[in-house]
Amino acid sequence: MVEILQSVIFGFQVALQPVNLIYCFFGVLIGTLVGVLPGLGPAAAIALLLPTTFKITPVSATIMLAGIYYGAMYGGSTTSILVNIPGEAASVVTCLDGYQMALKGRAGPALGIAAFGSFIAGTFAVIALTFVGPLLSNVALAFGPPEYFSMMIVGITVLTYLSSGSMIKALIMAGVGLMLSGVGMDTISGKYRFTFNIPSLLDGVGVVPVAMGLFGISEVLLNLETEINRDILATKVKNLFPTLKDWADSLWSIVRGSILGFFLGIIPGGGAVVASFASYAIEKKASKHPEEFGKGAIQGVAGPESANNSAAGGSFIPLLTLGIPANPVMAILLGALMIHGLQPGPLLMQNAPDLFWGTIVSMYIGNVMLLVLNLPLIPMWVKVLKVPYYLLYPLILLFCLIGAYSLDNTIADVIIMLIFGILGFLMKKCRYDGAPLILALVLGQKLETSLRRSLIMSQGDFSIFVTRPISLGFLITAVLLLIVPVITQRKRLSTLEEG
Amino acid sequence: MKDKTDPVSGVFWLIFSAFVSYLSYQLGLGTLHQPGPGFLFFWTAIVTAILSVAVIVISLRKGPPEKAQRPTFGKKNATKIVLVLISLFLYALLMEQLGFLIVTLVFFIVLLGAIEKKRWSFAVLVSLIVTVASYLVFEKALQSQLPKGLLEFLRF
Repeated sequence: MVEILQSVIFGFQVALQPVNLIYCFFGVLIGTLVGVLPGLGPAAAIALLLPTTFKITPVSATIMLAGIYYGAMYGGSTTSILVNIPGEAASVVTCLDGYQMALKGRAGPALGIAAFGSFIAGTFAVIALTFVGPLLSNVALAFGPPEYFSMMIVGITVLTYLSSGSMIKALIMAGVGLMLSGVGMDTISGKYRFTFNIPSLLDGVGVVPVAMGLFGISEVLLNLETEINRDILATKVKNLFPTLKDWADSLWSIVRGSILGFFLGIIPGGGAVVASFASYAIEKKASKHPEEFGKGAIQGVAGPESANNSAAGGSFIPLLTLGIPANPVMAILLGALMIHGLQPGPLLMQNAPDLFWGTIVSMYIGNVMLLVLNLPLIPMWVKVLKVPYYLLYPLILLFCLIGAYSLDNTIADVIIMLIFGILGFLMKKCRYDGAPLILALVLGQKLETSLRRSLIMSQGDFSIFVTRPISLGFLITAVLLLIVPVITQRKRLSTLEEG
Repeated sequence: MKDKTDPVSGVFWLIFSAFVSYLSYQLGLGTLHQPGPGFLFFWTAIVTAILSVAVIVISLRKGPPEKAQRPTFGKKNATKIVLVLISLFLYALLMEQLGFLIVTLVFFIVLLGAIEKKRWSFAVLVSLIVTVASYLVFEKALQSQLPKGLLEFLRF
């Protein structure tokens, strides 16, 4: 306990350094902006801005990139409520009741409760992270290759289970991601694989250009086709502070959302999007007036908005303690840390305590900044929304081009990004989810190494994965997740999306 | 109208995984005691191929949907998307030869003026502002090493 307290104080010393404060501020500001802008999610934004962090220290870089993620969770609610367009996926469900509240002239309290709920949940998640992180780090130190292998299998399975649409398609995407991760040099035998003698493929296919293509370029292409029609609500936003009755109505929703979101965030494969949908479902069940949901129930805003923020905080746990990203955003962050020469995992806390504690504590500070930033700046964000798309999309494309090029100063990454942009566009048309692909691509190398090391350990005996209890537990979870949808009708997120 | 995306995408992934499994087989599967470089990818490709077949079979069994669906690709903005893509690829291919400043300026003028059909004076003005601003932010402030290309002699 004392140790943790000391670590937190150390974290504050790191996070309160002026330079880190500035990067934290930039992070949450850009995050909010990204959250506000439809068609640019946190995954693409972090990928885009990653090259801009090459010249700064890994600590400042991580603080800023983390800020973008949880900042986006705040910003996303603004567009959902005012325009009925979710700024990013985790705010889709906020549209249901948030926009209805706005239509009834209660946009202010909706925005207010979303911001306060996000703040409470974000802070809750950071406090929980402070205590659970070190605990999990210690457990993970006992993991060997078989445990890591099984855990990554669970991570990919959970993500495919939770992804919207067909689970078969999600599994195909995970398979494709895994195959892509094989491009480049095999670390064990030293052989080059799938490179077709193209020099730029010798180092493998980078996660960041693939993510920019799948989440950035493809999104622009889709929007070009549909031409977003944005009618911004003309009513003035006033009374941002929710009334006492609003607080009474939504307090428990915030509490439930915070706890639920945190745990869904920790589970590899879970994350903010899932948490927001799950929270909405629970709030509707728990409510005495479920018929009000969809017609402007404040609980329908407070719960999901708390849950997505809490999940964003929680999802840092598997990344920082196990080196396993829980979702695509964390996958890109993992790539970022590795570019900065850090290996996330159980040893991170010992090897780079300034990064570990500095980042966690910066989230406390970031949450305060967001609260201060968001409420008064709402009118400005609404103005940002009025930027016409014909100006916005060339800018997004330009950032993608510069971002991909600056990764390694080579046009190879730009070409990879564009190819995956087209692929992502076609995949969305055919209802394939890009998230499992990214996760499998990031985990692929580790997955292969741990599989082959395990088999070398056991001299080719596959039973090593089931005779070690932790590994067995992971594998049972994975098998259950694969079997359950076959036996019972899988409760699809997409049905909720439609409803 | 029959939704053809599932069988088509299924066939695509089937061919893709068949190709990967062939390549992996050639890399060498090794033995169970010492798995080779192609081991994991061979089996991943086999499983993915089976799943692709499942996608095809399921979509064929379902048959054509009763309701008329929206066409998968709207014709309305197809040319616009193709034009944007061509500009993107040209940007990527020419940026090292011509340099960041020239390609960015031309890229923006093309997007705003030719594709979005805004007034040319407006397009040129915005393009100039964006080019200079992005140059200052990325090259000067963030020190990304953007290609100088033709303007290398200026050394600014």
